[in-house]
Amino acid sequence: MDRVIVRFIAIIFVSLLLAGCWDKRELNELAIATAISIDKKDDEYHVAAQVVIPTELSTKGGTGSSPVTLYEANGKSVNEAIRKLTLVAPRMIYLGHLRIVVISEELAKEGIDGTVDFLSRGWELRSDFYLIVSKETDAREILNIQTTLEKVPANDLFNILHTSEANYSSTIAVNFFEMKTNLEREGKQGVLTGVQILGDSSKGSSKQNVESIVPEAFIKFEELAVFKEDKLVGWLNDNESRGYNGITNQVKSTVGIVSCPEGGNGNVSIHIKKYKSEMKSKKTNSNNPEIDLKVNIVANLGEVSCDIDLTKQETVKMLEKEFEKAVKTDLQETIKVVQEKYHTDIFGFGATINKENPEKWKKIKGNWDEIFSEMPVNIDVDAQISHFGSVLNPVGRSTSE
Amino acid sequence: MQTDKVTPFQFLVLVIFFTVGSSILYIPSTLTIAVKQDAWIAALIGNLLGLVVIWFFTTISLWFPKLTYIEINEKIFGKFLGKSISILFVLMTLLYASALIAQSSIFLITQMYPETPITFINLLLVIIVVMAVRLGIQTIARSAEIFIFIFFFLFIVLAVSISPQIDVTNLEPFFQTKLSSILSSSFKLTAVSTVNSIALFMIFPAFVNEIKKCRKNFYLGSLIGGAVIVSITMLCIFVLGSNTTARQVYPSYTLAKVINVGDFITRIEALMATLWTLALFFKVTLYFYAGVFGLSKILNIKEYRVLTFPVAAIVLFLSIIIFPNILYQTIFDEKNAIVITTIVGLFCPLLATIVFLLRKKKFKKDPDYANSN
Repeated sequence: MDRVIVRFIAIIFVSLLLAGCWDKRELNELAIATAISIDKKDDEYHVAAQVVIPTELSTKGGTGSSPVTLYEANGKSVNEAIRKLTLVAPRMIYLGHLRIVVISEELAKEGIDGTVDFLSRGWELRSDFYLIVSKETDAREILNIQTTLEKVPANDLFNILHTSEANYSSTIAVNFFEMKTNLEREGKQGVLTGVQILGDSSKGSSKQNVESIVPEAFIKFEELAVFKEDKLVGWLNDNESRGYNGITNQVKSTVGIVSCPEGGNGNVSIHIKKYKSEMKSKKTNSNNPEIDLKVNIVANLGEVSCDIDLTKQETVKMLEKEFEKAVKTDLQETIKVVQEKYHTDIFGFGATINKENPEKWKKIKGNWDEIFSEMPVNIDVDAQISHFGSVLNPVGRSTSE
Repeated sequence: MQTDKVTPFQFLVLVIFFTVGSSILYIPSTLTIAVKQDAWIAALIGNLLGLVVIWFFTTISLWFPKLTYIEINEKIFGKFLGKSISILFVLMTLLYASALIAQSSIFLITQMYPETPITFINLLLVIIVVMAVRLGIQTIARSAEIFIFIFFFLFIVLAVSISPQIDVTNLEPFFQTKLSSILSSSFKLTAVSTVNSIALFMIFPAFVNEIKKCRKNFYLGSLIGGAVIVSITMLCIFVLGSNTTARQVYPSYTLAKVINVGDFITRIEALMATLWTLALFFKVTLYFYAGVFGLSKILNIKEYRVLTFPVAAIVLFLSIIIFPNILYQTIFDEKNAIVITTIVGLFCPLLATIVFLLRKKKFKKDPDYANSN
């Protein structure tokens, strides 16, 4: 009998240990941040956390006020600022569900090493959120805009980044982990997508912003921020951004424009369906490296406003040639801009040389930035137009010809 | 007195768990720090080196197939010297048990329970270990037999779900580091995973069925466990790249963190932590069993179970104070542990071999001597 009682007590004691986690955090004690922004002004970090208000997101409706709120604080470090958020927020900010981190252009120009260290040291944070850079505006302003289709602005940002990356390929969703890898890797620098506010940003915060069909203020992803080590050195415009994605084989699908082959107004839009680019370091005897870039494209016709006869094989061949030329020019332009303006190897040419020819890399890595700026890149594009859509000849072209 | 025996399959499973042990958490970064993307080569060599060590160990132990390592020591060296060496051995196993418990709690505190006192995490683990050891080697072996399936299931899930992110070119360029540094890293791995398996000689060959089959399984288990370590090292380099791997404290946990299958299966790292919790638990249990059982043999105590609580109290206390922070652990693993392992795991058995060969004639008449081998 005694044994039974002892066992019984032991079981109760052990289940006490099992029942609760020491580090438990109840849901009603947490403020779930979906996005944070980091600004830096005069040695002070300014952190704003976009926190979701669960009752406003519930299916039963809520009171009709904003679905998110923004808590802000200053501090000498990002970490301190986040702790100081408790001065304005009733709950502890929980970063486990973070989707977006917006870094201001100014902070990026000064360097993001410290920020990246903070984000990777903590146990609470995962590494699958995206980093973006706010262009020509404070990072906090980006989080201060109401959005229409997605109620939570952070999700809006997250999804725009995803869809544009998949369908237009001028943006690139760089998650934290990839950025960190780029900072740690030899011979490859990072890029981040830029984000801007269009319209009247002062009206974006109010819920009225989403009550009209055309919002007063909205967010647009544009341009890629070019990094040299942890510092932002410049921006790539729309065309160059797509060129960058093209060179680094990150195009999923996009649209390319070719002007009419036989002159005249109008152009041909080509949907890129399959895109593959491959980088190789060319074997040369001299010390100066060269890179061979091979691009393979399979595309569909999207829109034709030229007077061309698409029933003929030659026309298609010609279109393909023109398209190859156009792509090649785009890629060349991109490389030229980066080589001449920014002198930073965002394409990973250095990493490619290191992988294929480590001996040479050891010799040249000391003054890689200069060598990179001078290095020739041979581009070879092969395009194939495979599907024409549900009409063969352009609609405008008279069939009797 | 212990009478249960371990079947060959159970022994195989125990060897696998022992080989994987804590290496699965640390080895990728330890190796990449030293030899960068050649880490997997080092792991491979270390694994093969382990087979030689096992051959050496099993040869010694099969001279006296009915005796444990402690008793063999006494037989070969005589009472005083034999006991002294055995005490060294027992101290090592108990020290490693504490160190492993401390390692696991530092991991849990860093990644999951930042505010839980270390005492409670260690206490929980020690309670389970003591329970397992008191229930005997048969129970430990049978539970290992069940858990190995969960272990490999999770391991395969990890490998498959991370595979979309593999970038094979991360392994290039090959052989960028000096052969000497590759070899010295390999030896570190061999020391941690294989030389330490001298603790298993409290079980083999005295408490196993079908000794010959078990010896074969010893090699096999070491190979399978080594394959797990080599593949986790490769996966880390494939996915994270050697620089990032080297910078992580727990690279394989980071690996599990970046799993993302179609934006649907994500954030399953806590599930994956089961992998190393399992391996760690069995390694600690085997160390603790070897320590307690060995101590009872030294002190001529018939029932080793009476020692479990007092020894557990010492191990628990030591595990709390042993590493004030993670740097102590790194230095311990990199330097101190290697020295201790080399002395107890390689030097002492080597000495035993020399003495045995010198006194071979005398042992031939010994009733415990194995004629068949």
